[in-house]
Amino acid sequence: MSESVADPKRTKGGGANIVRYRGVIKRYGAFQALGGVELDVHAGEVVCLIGPSGSGKSTLLRCTNGLESIEGGEVEFEGAVLPRDERALRKVRQRMGMVFQNFELFPHLTALENVAEGPRTVLRLGTEDANRRATAMLAKVGLSDKGASYPSALSGGQQQRVAIARALAMEPDVMLFDEPTSALDPETIGEVLNVMKKLADEGMTMVVVTHEMQFARRVGDWVAVFDAGRIVEQGPPEQIFDAPLTDRTRDFLSHLGWTG
Amino acid sequence: MDFNFAVITDHWRFLVGGVGVTLLLAVLSGVTSLAAGLVIALLRLYGPRWLRPVVIFYIDSMRAIPVLVVLVWTFFALPIVAGITMPPFYAALLGLTVHLAAYAAEIVRAGIESIRPGQTRAAVALGMSPAQVLRRILLPQAIVRMLPAFGSLLSVTIKDTAIASVIAVTEFMRQSETVAGQSFQPIEVYTFAMLVYFLILFPVTRGVEHVYRRVAHLGRS
Amino acid sequence: MTFDWSVVWQHREALAIGTATTVLLTVATMLIAVPCGIIVAVARLYAWAPVRAAATAYVELFRNLPLILVVYWAFYVLPIMTGLGLSPLATGLAALALNVTAYNAETFRAGINSIRRGQVEAAMALGMSRAQALRRVVVPQALRRILPVFASTWVSLFKDTSLVSVIAVSELAYVAMQIRAQTYRVLEMLTAMAAIYWLLGYPQAKLVDWIQRKYAVTE
Repeated sequence: MSESVADPKRTKGGGANIVRYRGVIKRYGAFQALGGVELDVHAGEVVCLIGPSGSGKSTLLRCTNGLESIEGGEVEFEGAVLPRDERALRKVRQRMGMVFQNFELFPHLTALENVAEGPRTVLRLGTEDANRRATAMLAKVGLSDKGASYPSALSGGQQQRVAIARALAMEPDVMLFDEPTSALDPETIGEVLNVMKKLADEGMTMVVVTHEMQFARRVGDWVAVFDAGRIVEQGPPEQIFDAPLTDRTRDFLSHLGWTG
Repeated sequence: MDFNFAVITDHWRFLVGGVGVTLLLAVLSGVTSLAAGLVIALLRLYGPRWLRPVVIFYIDSMRAIPVLVVLVWTFFALPIVAGITMPPFYAALLGLTVHLAAYAAEIVRAGIESIRPGQTRAAVALGMSPAQVLRRILLPQAIVRMLPAFGSLLSVTIKDTAIASVIAVTEFMRQSETVAGQSFQPIEVYTFAMLVYFLILFPVTRGVEHVYRRVAHLGRS
Repeated sequence: MTFDWSVVWQHREALAIGTATTVLLTVATMLIAVPCGIIVAVARLYAWAPVRAAATAYVELFRNLPLILVVYWAFYVLPIMTGLGLSPLATGLAALALNVTAYNAETFRAGINSIRRGQVEAAMALGMSRAQALRRVVVPQALRRILPVFASTWVSLFKDTSLVSVIAVSELAYVAMQIRAQTYRVLEMLTAMAAIYWLLGYPQAKLVDWIQRKYAVTE
């Protein structure tokens, strides 16, 4: 069921399809984690994936850059089906940025070295160019003065911002966020969400798995609600949060104590 | 009971020569067993599947057989089987390497496996190849994590060189035995030997602990 | 070069006795080194300063000496220090016990220390005395962490018994090497010696693995 005509409610649906999920199926042994996911992500859109834990949101994200392989359906990136060959996949990954729940900064490198690592080792830029890019990215996330610090000396929020800078340094066409604020203290969540909003305002295409409903409501352009490996409802934030069409969505939101 | 430590000063050069051999044997065995252990561990983790049980068998066998037995077999039996002659020092070096590499391999494996899988995922997400992930992200962290265990292995290596005295390597233990036997003053000689070994070993363990404390945060992800 | 493996079978009785002596030495050493290790560990943790210092000095000394040297030293010094004429077996046992007690003391101490202080505080908040808290809350948890390391020490001890062969104690290594000297069957006897150690040691190593898997501590 593909949308040949852009949904009129989809404000940014006119842009090119950056990512398309076509009937994506993912199994772990006998357990079906994704049961046929259909979703488009257009250029410049912020697509938020919400839903209960274990409903497949993070799994879909990991299938997007090939960290997990799929058993059925297709993932398309910029018009081409995601390759199965590792070498080709690596090239594709260079055009996607991923931010993890546990930051996963490399502890043996300083913040600057972390951000420069991708450009240096993968893009094979010279050290000077890589460092220049890294400095610019650190400035973008507001951490210019922390370049020489090791991750162990940074707060959670700072570490996550460095992780975002590290992904941005590859100049990706899409940013994938896997519950970026779930492991943060409440005080530091704000600084990370602000950076993400800034990115969105600048027109970055983003797929965000999140529990931060306020963020999805205010910054998201399109929201998909997951349950048991399927999307039960997708639409603009106003629909999902103010006037949901399905009971599953209503249940989920009420469980979160969402009062709008 | 009356002690005469002149026996030590009389044979000073002989004994110090022994210390030199001890340290040389320890350092060489340390380096070779580390290199071999690294290769073996990487083969076990990333090599062909059929090689795995072979490596595991080798490692577990070295955990079962005493160093003394390995050294004696290498010096006396291996020449018969291989038709070569081997001077005691090289037999000791070979025997110690074969024995210690098993322990080194386990330390390397544990170090790499102790790193969170998220680190690999993050590196792969940037587009790194498996070789790059290993070289730039996993090994640097693993080396830091392995430091305490390697310090302890170094200490064991130095102690094991003393067993090489049994196959006539002229390291410090052997030289001490010779002096003790000829002078009929074993108490003074062996007490002195204990002092020397302690003065070598104690700083090694303390030194490694000190270095580890300062770099531990580089391995914590 | 011909090999005569029957020499191993011919001397099977002597080898069996040697093996039994090895096992006996291992068990006897542990029977001494466990209680003594507990005493030294407790001394390091709870005794008053001079005793604590002495216990620490003892542990640090014996963990930083090659065992083979301790064996020789015990052989020459102990008879003079204690005034007793000790058999080689007893001397070997004493050297092994001195060595393993130090390692056990460190294992026990580290195990007890690894239990968070909050556990003792929580127990005492319930009204337990410190001794009760130790017995009912700390020791059971500490045992889980101690057991894998202790099992590892046991296997090391089993292998280290070979070192008392240098003072002519008739355990497996000494017996095998004596037979070699008498029969000139070098390859056969040395390989048999290695094989017997392997047969006994391999299952022990696997058992240690099992124990470590079963009692692995995840925070």
